[in-house]
Amino acid sequence: MLENPTDENVVRWGNEGDSFVVLENEKFTKHILPKHFKHSNFASFVRQLNKYDFHKVRHNNEENGQSPYGAGAWEFKHPDFKANNKDALDNIRRKAPAPRKSNTAADDIMIPTQQMDLVNTQLVATQQQLQQLQERYNELSVHHSMLLQELIGVQKTVVNHEHVMQNVMSFLHSIDAQRRRDSRVLNPFPQAGAQNGAPDGVAQPAEDDVPASPLQHASKLLSETNADVMLNPRNLEHMNEVSLRMNGTLTTPPPDYVRNGPRPTSRGTAPPSASSQSSMRLGDIDGLVYPVGQTNGIDPMFSEHIHNIPYAMPPKPPETADPQMPSAAARKKSHQIDPGWIRQPQILLVEDDPTCRRIGGKFLYAFHCSIDSALDGLEAVNKMNAGSKYDLVLMDIIMPNLDGVSACHLIRQFDQTTAIIAMTSNIRSDDISMYFQHGMNDVLPKPFTKEGLLSMLEKHLAHLKRPIHTLEAMVAPPMPALAHTSARQSLKDEDSPGKSPATASNWNSPAQMSGVSPVAPSVPDEYMSTVGAVQGNAVAYAVNNAPMPPAMAYNSSPQLPVPGRAPQGAHRRQISDISGGDDMSSSAKRQQMYAPPVRPQPMNPMQRPR
Amino acid sequence: MARATDHPEDRVSHVDHTGSPIQIELTDGMQSEEGSTGLPEAGDAIDTATFEQILEMDEDEDEREFSKSIVFDFFQQAEATFDKMDAALETRDLEQLSQLGHFLKGSSATLGLTKVKDSCEKIQHFGANKDETGTRDEPDDDVCLKRLRKTIEQAKQEFHDVEKVLRRFYHDE
Repeated sequence: MLENPTDENVVRWGNEGDSFVVLENEKFTKHILPKHFKHSNFASFVRQLNKYDFHKVRHNNEENGQSPYGAGAWEFKHPDFKANNKDALDNIRRKAPAPRKSNTAADDIMIPTQQMDLVNTQLVATQQQLQQLQERYNELSVHHSMLLQELIGVQKTVVNHEHVMQNVMSFLHSIDAQRRRDSRVLNPFPQAGAQNGAPDGVAQPAEDDVPASPLQHASKLLSETNADVMLNPRNLEHMNEVSLRMNGTLTTPPPDYVRNGPRPTSRGTAPPSASSQSSMRLGDIDGLVYPVGQTNGIDPMFSEHIHNIPYAMPPKPPETADPQMPSAAARKKSHQIDPGWIRQPQILLVEDDPTCRRIGGKFLYAFHCSIDSALDGLEAVNKMNAGSKYDLVLMDIIMPNLDGVSACHLIRQFDQTTAIIAMTSNIRSDDISMYFQHGMNDVLPKPFTKEGLLSMLEKHLAHLKRPIHTLEAMVAPPMPALAHTSARQSLKDEDSPGKSPATASNWNSPAQMSGVSPVAPSVPDEYMSTVGAVQGNAVAYAVNNAPMPPAMAYNSSPQLPVPGRAPQGAHRRQISDISGGDDMSSSAKRQQMYAPPVRPQPMNPMQRPR
Repeated sequence: MARATDHPEDRVSHVDHTGSPIQIELTDGMQSEEGSTGLPEAGDAIDTATFEQILEMDEDEDEREFSKSIVFDFFQQAEATFDKMDAALETRDLEQLSQLGHFLKGSSATLGLTKVKDSCEKIQHFGANKDETGTRDEPDDDVCLKRLRKTIEQAKQEFHDVEKVLRRFYHDE
């Protein structure tokens, strides 16, 4: 600007080349300043010059105090400001600037003071915010890991209790068995003993019922809860690991961590809330953060989180959501139901009563199953032994020639995996425990209903269900989790406090922290509430269908007996392991829905590896 | 089997002779309800939900081919079973009676014929030397046989009541 000849009469180098002179103050202010400094305030220009150690050249000592450039001229000098020495320009620095600001400022030397001041304040404010954030984050992390530790401790205790309970149970069972054996000896119908009392289940002394019933019930409950608890500590510990990791560094956890972390622990409910929370916070930030370009720390973390959370989460919800959907739907429409099998399940219906056989067969047909039938246990065993493969066996208990329990017992000698379901009206607890003892996977009480049959199929043939069905089912689910996947943005407002804690607790810091950051002054409330929620919202968890494992285990969600789970064949077990969610389905209902999750997996490959 | 098919008519007429007031009630109820629901209304003799899900399996609501064949097969099955029960009563074969009771209990339960099912359950228990709930032992065969005789008659009665309702429902009278 000094070398521009057209402005020579306004501003130019001084005569010696070691200063510059503003000859016409007014013109300089109006025309030249705006071009270079985005403002037209000569005073602030001068102030800036002073800041950079330029000095007005005074000519007081000279004759008449007249400057050689005229009365209105301003001459500025800086030791390093030479017309012929541009290298020295780098030495022109702001006086006593904060190190960082000087860097920025050095690039455009002439930034007006106000702006600099503004930037300064902003920087300071941002730094303060950052610090606050950091503190809060640390605090939260500590809380979080404390909570986690507590939780893990509690879980371990629960598991221990479980084991104790199991011991007690097995002891009681042995006593019970003893009793039954004894009473069987007394039984006036010795034939009952022949097939372990199977052919004559009803004839069993009724007294056995009393002790056995609670026993049976308790063992069922135990087997349900146990599976859950056994699996969950791992998740928690993993989470803990993640949190520790994040404690150590402020950097975002690697994506896979993010994925793994929240997923297993927070069964669907939490993840979406996490994402929604963070996205909501993002919005806040946009509005609240100072217009300070790139601040260190905040932004990168943000984008990272936002990236990680939402994308990592969606895979999960389908699993949880799905379970409830199909069943609900299936239960309603009862006509021709297509449960969405990958292939037609092969069902063996073992039933001596033609009426039951026909109706059962008809229902199975309506469920798109392929049916084979056997008239008694003997025929069933022969069919299975001859190599016929079935996905499921529905076995009447009391049949001529060979009763269902004995048939099941025989089948189990050579086939451990095929699900065998007792179909009987003898559903007293001692009967039921006997069925399970002989390898039955489940009991379908007679007279069975179509719904009961269907849910039984879905429960035990989960691996045959088609993922597409899952997707369809997910489309309109009322569940928050679901909606989250599809439209997490839209949901952010609906995020209930009950759910967010889950987020905060397992995902913890990132969302939390970023959320807090922009709003430093107003944060406390929010922060407090979140923390409070984390601590006090165990109830919420349970209600929300338990994103947290412990809640899961003792969740009040429909607890239909799933005793079949444990005794089931190896392959089933595997599936549940893989799906990672199967274990939580503690009710027939859930489980039956649960099944789908196994299949959808191909769609979410990233969540598969545990 | 031919005999079994003939039987229903005999039984029905027999029932008519006795002029059981219950049956009239049932029939009236059925008629009044028929227009609205199309389902046989037989008070607590038929569990509507259970029977309905069988009716749902009918592809044609007029023909009702599937449920009709099931129900009519059940009639035969029941008649045959009652005959066997009578024979077993003669030979004092309690075990056989219990099994027959269980057998008929299963199919009647599947159809939702509540009353018949309940009686069959009692037959099953009595045959097993128990009281009617199956909770206490009744070692005296004579007591059991006496109860069986009574309960089997009751079961027949209930069966024929509901059979009449169903036959009317399927326009087979």
